Amino acid sequence: MDDGDYPITSLVLAAAAGDEHAWHEIVDRYTPLLASVTSRFRLTAGETQDVAQTVWLRLVEHLGDLREPRALPMWIITTGKRESMRYLSLRRRNVPYDPLDPSWLEAAVDDAEPAADLLRAERHEALLAGLAELPSRQRELLLLLVEDPPLSYAEISRRTGIRIGSIGPTRRRALARLRQTFAISDLLTGPAGMPAEPDGAACLDGAAARDSDQARER
Amino acid sequence: MGVSQHRWDDDQHLLDDLADAVREAAPLVGSLAEQGKGAYAWRTVDQDLLLASLSFDSSLERAQQRRSDSGDGRVLVFTAAPLSLELEVMTDRVVGQIIPPGPGEIRVETAGGATFLVEADDAGFFELPDKPRGPVRLRCDTPSGRLVTDWVRL
Repeated sequence: MDDGDYPITSLVLAAAAGDEHAWHEIVDRYTPLLASVTSRFRLTAGETQDVAQTVWLRLVEHLGDLREPRALPMWIITTGKRESMRYLSLRRRNVPYDPLDPSWLEAAVDDAEPAADLLRAERHEALLAGLAELPSRQRELLLLLVEDPPLSYAEISRRTGIRIGSIGPTRRRALARLRQTFAISDLLTGPAGMPAEPDGAACLDGAAARDSDQARER
Repeated sequence: MGVSQHRWDDDQHLLDDLADAVREAAPLVGSLAEQGKGAYAWRTVDQDLLLASLSFDSSLERAQQRRSDSGDGRVLVFTAAPLSLELEVMTDRVVGQIIPPGPGEIRVETAGGATFLVEADDAGFFELPDKPRGPVRLRCDTPSGRLVTDWVRL
């Protein structure tokens, strides 16, 4: 796949080559996405920290073989989910299995997210991955616009240097750009753009998944 | 997906959904970003070192399969052809083997900065003195090559 002018490509290449500032920029852009993915699993604060740390540590080593930087958000989503599930299954493993113990049933139910929650989570992932792709100025403006409690345009103007009268048009352009990001247009075009099974991570985790399938069949 | 498509045609709806997503993630962002930045210090710059990806983890098998072998150790396999490393994680101990079987030195690194060394015997078997907490990785030095595993929690 040709990444074209995917804005994250140069950051990934630079971070893989040793540029720590580029890595920090990647972290700043993609932390909300990772936070969103891990928050779905009702892990403890400590477990969430461990999951995130594992994902970041592993990503540092895999930057070099991320041949398609466009696969980065999907890599983060896939690895974040997989590591979170590991924690859930380890937690269960440490409790002897008792078919009469209702906590097993609860744990099993937790695995089956209601369809509505799943769709909402996917929308959030797409939006946060899209946000990560935007130029800094547009990203910062949108983040200020969604602050809770809301900021006045005067305050936003003070923080960004954008004139009050320009905030409306700038917001419109930023949202238009958000719709056009790879992350969101991939979601909107559906299976053709981004298969439901995260193929985007294929160059990294696909091989591992295939191996584990084979191992299971042995 | 069609729902999102039409809903997101509208600026205010798109911004509302974005606000929802950002706010849900917000409480975790500070601490996770800090960890992310710290992770770079662990970047491996050794070009001769093979990166062994976690290629199998019995804890991610389907629940039913897992229950049938409940009580056995959790098995992890890290592969970096031609070498691989197999681990069995039990309640309070961790044993492993270098494949193909042969002697070597294993260095366990924790994300907290602690490291310790264990020797693998002539058949490649080794045992960790303790089950580490939090993310760890294993560096393996053998006469036929060197590898470092993916970070993982045992």
